[in-house]
Amino acid sequence: MSTIRKILAIRAVREFLRIFLAVFAALVLGFLITLAVSKQPIEAYKAFLLGPVSRFNRFGDWIEESITLILLGLAVSLAFRAKQFSLGQDGQMLMGALVSGSIALFVPLPFLLRVPLALLAAMLVGFIWGYIPGYLKAHLDANEIVSTLMLNTIALKIYDYFLIFWIKPPGAGYNASDFFPVEGKLPTFLPALPFIADLQKRFADHTNITIMLYLMIIAIVVAFFLMFRTPFGYELRTVGANIKFARYGGIDTKKTIILVFAVSGIFAGLAGAHLAMGIHTKLIANITVGLGFEGIVVAIMARNNPLFVPIAGLAYGYLRAGADVMERASDVSREMVLVIQAIIILLVTAERILPMVQQVITARRQAAAGAAEMTEGENNVV
Amino acid sequence: MSFDHILKAIFSALFLANILRISTPLILPALGGLVTDLAGATNIALEGIMLVAAFTGVVVSAYTKSVTAGILCGILSGVLISALLAYFYLYLKTDVFLAGIAINIMATGGTIFLLYILTGDKGNSSKLASGMAPIVHIPLIKDIPFLGTVLSGHNIFTYAAFLLTWLVAIFLYRTPLGTHLRAAGENPEAAATLGIDVKQTQLIAFLMSGFLASLGGLNLSMAYLTLFQREMTAGRGFIALAAVYLGGRKPWGTLIAAMIFGFADALSNQLASLEIPSQLVQSIPYVVTIIALVVYALQKRAQLIERTRRFQERELAKSGGGATGS
Amino acid sequence: MTALIEMRDIVKVYPNGVVANDRVNFSIERGEIHALVGENGAGKTTLMKILYGMEQPTSGQIFLDGKAQHFRSSHDAIAAGIGMVHQNFMLVPSFTVAENVVLGQEPTRRGFIEAKRATEITEQLAQQYGLRVEADAIVDSINVGMRQRVEILKTLYRGAQILILDEPTAVLTPQETQELFNAVHALVQQGKTVIFITHKLREVKEISDRVSVMRGGKMMGTLPTVEATREGLARMMVGRDVFLTVNKPPCKRGKRVMEVRDLSYITETGRTMLHKVSFNIYAGEILGIAGVEGNGQTELVEVLTGLRSAASGEARIGGKVVTNRTPREVRMASVAHIPEDRLTNGLALTASIDENLIVDRYFLPPYRKGLVIDYKQVESMGRELIKKFDIRTPTGKLPVNSLSGGNMQKVIVAREFSSSPELLIAAQPTRGIDVGATEFIRDQLVQKRTEGTAILLVSADLAEVMSLSDRIIVLYEGEITGVFPDASKVSEEEIGLYMLGLRRQTREEMEAYL
Repeated sequence: MSTIRKILAIRAVREFLRIFLAVFAALVLGFLITLAVSKQPIEAYKAFLLGPVSRFNRFGDWIEESITLILLGLAVSLAFRAKQFSLGQDGQMLMGALVSGSIALFVPLPFLLRVPLALLAAMLVGFIWGYIPGYLKAHLDANEIVSTLMLNTIALKIYDYFLIFWIKPPGAGYNASDFFPVEGKLPTFLPALPFIADLQKRFADHTNITIMLYLMIIAIVVAFFLMFRTPFGYELRTVGANIKFARYGGIDTKKTIILVFAVSGIFAGLAGAHLAMGIHTKLIANITVGLGFEGIVVAIMARNNPLFVPIAGLAYGYLRAGADVMERASDVSREMVLVIQAIIILLVTAERILPMVQQVITARRQAAAGAAEMTEGENNVV
Repeated sequence: MSFDHILKAIFSALFLANILRISTPLILPALGGLVTDLAGATNIALEGIMLVAAFTGVVVSAYTKSVTAGILCGILSGVLISALLAYFYLYLKTDVFLAGIAINIMATGGTIFLLYILTGDKGNSSKLASGMAPIVHIPLIKDIPFLGTVLSGHNIFTYAAFLLTWLVAIFLYRTPLGTHLRAAGENPEAAATLGIDVKQTQLIAFLMSGFLASLGGLNLSMAYLTLFQREMTAGRGFIALAAVYLGGRKPWGTLIAAMIFGFADALSNQLASLEIPSQLVQSIPYVVTIIALVVYALQKRAQLIERTRRFQERELAKSGGGATGS
Repeated sequence: MTALIEMRDIVKVYPNGVVANDRVNFSIERGEIHALVGENGAGKTTLMKILYGMEQPTSGQIFLDGKAQHFRSSHDAIAAGIGMVHQNFMLVPSFTVAENVVLGQEPTRRGFIEAKRATEITEQLAQQYGLRVEADAIVDSINVGMRQRVEILKTLYRGAQILILDEPTAVLTPQETQELFNAVHALVQQGKTVIFITHKLREVKEISDRVSVMRGGKMMGTLPTVEATREGLARMMVGRDVFLTVNKPPCKRGKRVMEVRDLSYITETGRTMLHKVSFNIYAGEILGIAGVEGNGQTELVEVLTGLRSAASGEARIGGKVVTNRTPREVRMASVAHIPEDRLTNGLALTASIDENLIVDRYFLPPYRKGLVIDYKQVESMGRELIKKFDIRTPTGKLPVNSLSGGNMQKVIVAREFSSSPELLIAAQPTRGIDVGATEFIRDQLVQKRTEGTAILLVSADLAEVMSLSDRIIVLYEGEITGVFPDASKVSEEEIGLYMLGLRRQTREEMEAYL
């Protein structure tokens, strides 16, 4: 039995190593770029790497951002695991933000009803906004990349339309809603208990870490169970592994594809609610700006596994937050992190790179070990 | 603001000229998307290529004081980025679509990053005195009342867009290389058996795609505006990709589809001044694209069903008569 | 006088140890139509691929006009005037016929393709050789017969003097076949040489000047067609040196499990692949389907398992119609299916062995408990099946692509057998796998049948069908042409005559035994 564990462990380690190396290489490249352009490269990189934990509010920024990223990463993981290249998270997020924000603003219900209703509505609208491209793909074989990109723009236009013509206060010179009333805001994640009152106040004052943190944890668990423990998850993974086999085995592949898109949309819709009710607590123009494809990066780093999505999301959120700090502390702008991100994607997804690196390593090792092996003899059986 | 008013606005010469102006940065990348699509790979990095070219053009023209140098370097940078994508896709076996996303992210981040280094500003390049592409006044035509306003006085990229549509059409359908490119995209195995180097052909497609998308980017920063703005492509690379599909994967179809998007954009600008929600008008082309996808799929399926049914009926009828003999 | 082509002592051993060609000698005279016949796997296609430069021989030589040749790729062969028309066409569907003909060597003027000249060239070639095509039609819209003529024109345009046609009639209707024959005659009259690969002895007699027979990778002989009798050729093709011995208890036939009535299947391109096929399968018997590949077996299996729709007729299990139902519905009617193409249909290679084992049952108890799949159950089932079916792996958690071909097949067999089906449809269950796994799977089939399962066995390996089956049906051109109620009382030669369409039982003769 130990051999089994060994085989499985080696696989896992290799996979981890591959991603770790990619991230490491990207960070090194980032440092080289910094060296080239900055007058204070060491300070800049120090701010980049340590920034998010240097101050309380920065820590908050990191966690808030990571929550969005993790929810998006879950959405993308579900779709990509089934080999459905849905790029629709941006649209689903926008619709989620719009619907949850509208309920938070206008539905006259007490807090205990209003917030759950808003969250559910965001999830539902995400589901619907995913169902559409799913249906088009399953029944009409319509290219999902094109259809989801189109739906993103349509969602953006709908969002802008409602924001400008219905939601923003009449006569306002800016395109944003009022702040949500307290019945429509997500509360801080720490309850106002007497013995942690200080801490609670600090979090509430300096961060927007809300109960969405708990919802996110639930979402991770749900996504994991959905993917690896339920019949739907089995269908999803089997369709992704070999759709012909799935059909031969009796799986309703069309239904599965539609549901994959739609369920993925639920998580993106929830991310939209987090933006509206957690981070901004109002609806603003371009609320999802800069987040469009970030879920893809997280999912790729997590190898489409919900269990690794939080690690990838936190790591990537850390880089993003760190870049913010770096920008404020030095002459290097935060966009460097985008370059690092791109390098990570390229290195993780280039199938030929690891084999190439391995070849070089084994060649070296063989050259080095050549002499040793001669004396050791042939008793090193694999 | 009557209906009449709108109609007048739409049929004004300025409005039509505006469509041409707005469509140009869609037509050029769409042609680039078409070339790679026909070669069998979706170039999702059009957006990033445009950005890089737009940025390089502005910077080089500002520092060399030469518009020509700016344009040439802009093209070169876009082609190089496209070559990078092709390298990862064709030779390192990266998923073309994930690599394309990576290129887009790199372009977005890289251009802002460098802009900040060069100007200390992250928003735009207004501190750089960059050049502007020449505007062409067509002799004779420019003096015709209505037509002159519509057709004359555009920048060179607008004319290039139409010229290039024609050239791309000729390339794809009249030259051996273009034909090989389409064959490699549609049936790589067949192409390979006839001695066509599929990978090399696709590489060429990516380089051309980079060239065309670069022109689209340069159009934005050296003609449409005369400065670089962060993320100034604003999704045009993706719209271009949709135009390829909406245009039925044909050069002139792609041009027309890109102009439909341009029309909707121009119209929404027009309507915004009339207090009609521009967002709803702007979303029309996207809805149309989805409908086009659906119609196309339904048509294809109906054809298949019809053909199968016809064959089945014929065969069954035929065998119905002769079967008793056996 | 030297032969046009002389292939001498050709040996081809594939990396997996299969000897596809064993010291084959083959010679072709200028201007003849030479038929090359043999069962599937006899080595014909390999031999022709070597001639066409697609495969390199392990040893042996090729002479063209007496000069030794060394073809490193098909380009070399094309340059030497050899053209090959493959079974699956290599055409670009959205291009016109003329564009396909000239693709890769387009006529140009100042760098531009001359479309008109391409059309003219195509029409001229077509006329010269009597190959009727519409030069300006889009390939996607033309029928299979014309597509084949386009393929032939492609080789002629490239200057082929020797044409290899690999089972050209397999996809053609009878009328189209006749047209092809006329074209082949026209080609030869104009000085071309044709090698014609086929299974069908009727065609050999009709078209060829000489005929060569291959069997088991060896060349059995070449003779003028006039001297060959169909029976003689059939014996050369299917006679065997080694007989399989399978120990099986006598058949105890039980109740009728499946009833197939007047089942027809027509392809999207209008070819009838099954024509009014009727038969029954009973519990406790192995019903073998014999036939040369491409005579409707694949279609029969896929229609019966819900992967394709029948054009007319139906199949029932216990009164319940199972044709034109989803694969899930068919499986729920207690049908199991070992598919002929295990890598595309039968397995998800990157998924684990366990996950491959549960595709037909993950939604059923005890594997499903409430909303979730009980992976403890799955694991223990996996362990049990891995042991019982001798799948060589340390654990069911490894992906299937870590297994050898034989063990992959055992995963499929384990899944399909363990669902305790009433009917098991096994298509090519031992194709391309090692001897050990083959024997194991055959034993399992017999055991299952003895336990009372009805088994429909389809195999291209006639010996396998003969030795395993209790009853045999012969499928020829989509129709049942013979039924043999006791497989042990019939010789391979006799079945061969039915398989090759030389004999045929009347409906009345067959009725009682179907």
